[in-house]
Amino acid sequence: MTAEPPFSIVLFDSTSEALLAEKLFKKAGIPHKVIPVPRHISSDCGVCIRFNASDTGAARATLDGIVTFRSITSLE
Amino acid sequence: MIREIDARGRACPQPVLMTKKAIDAGEDCIVIVDNEAARDNVCRMAKSQGCEARSEEGDGCFRITVTRGSSARREEKSPVPGAGPTVVVFPFDRMGTGDDDLGRILVRAFLHTLGELSPRPDVMIFFNGGVKLATDGSEVIEDLRALEKAGARILVCGTCLDFFGLKEKLRAGMISNMYDIAETMLSAGRIVRL
Repeated sequence: MTAEPPFSIVLFDSTSEALLAEKLFKKAGIPHKVIPVPRHISSDCGVCIRFNASDTGAARATLDGIVTFRSITSLE
Repeated sequence: MIREIDARGRACPQPVLMTKKAIDAGEDCIVIVDNEAARDNVCRMAKSQGCEARSEEGDGCFRITVTRGSSARREEKSPVPGAGPTVVVFPFDRMGTGDDDLGRILVRAFLHTLGELSPRPDVMIFFNGGVKLATDGSEVIEDLRALEKAGARILVCGTCLDFFGLKEKLRAGMISNMYDIAETMLSAGRIVRL
């Protein structure tokens, strides 16, 4: 019921990085949502940040050099 | 002569209890309350008992006429364990203890996931610090609204909203009372307490 694709997600190695990244997203005004890492991507218990795929450039620029993230991937 | 119950100035859930007493005694009644939350709570309870409730506003108060419809005195709820609704209870604005920031992230992930799963909860109850999840500034308002739209009943403790000064800031669910909350818990098929 939250399906309004296309979305991308950014994955982190730790929850504290996800927390920090969320603060930066807020500050940058990038619409986003904290969600559990989808099961088909990883079975680890973790959270990631979902955002509109069209904001991928802005998201990358916001995080680069400040927060270490594992990858940005499209959410199918 | 229909009995009048003056519940003005009575704290929640007194108006509901006074009305319930009359219904249980088999009486029709007119209940007078002085605020919208009490009106809604009384009407909801009356309807849940199979009664009709009509409310008129005037002179700064609400007069609710409660009459026993043909379906009044519905059959007692089934006592079979597991047969009732699934109720998820939120006593905190976070999930678990250990670290509060982590707990707030977890509850957001939990609520997102609830919306994706099936079956979804039938009722969600928020009390004490949990009411903050349903008020202004909460990160999960959209999730709660979506769950509500999908049919979940969201009960938010009015006493708790009042205590935190958040009554005007409710953004999802309905203001509820201990009567509704306790009854919902006791008639639940299962309760998931966060």
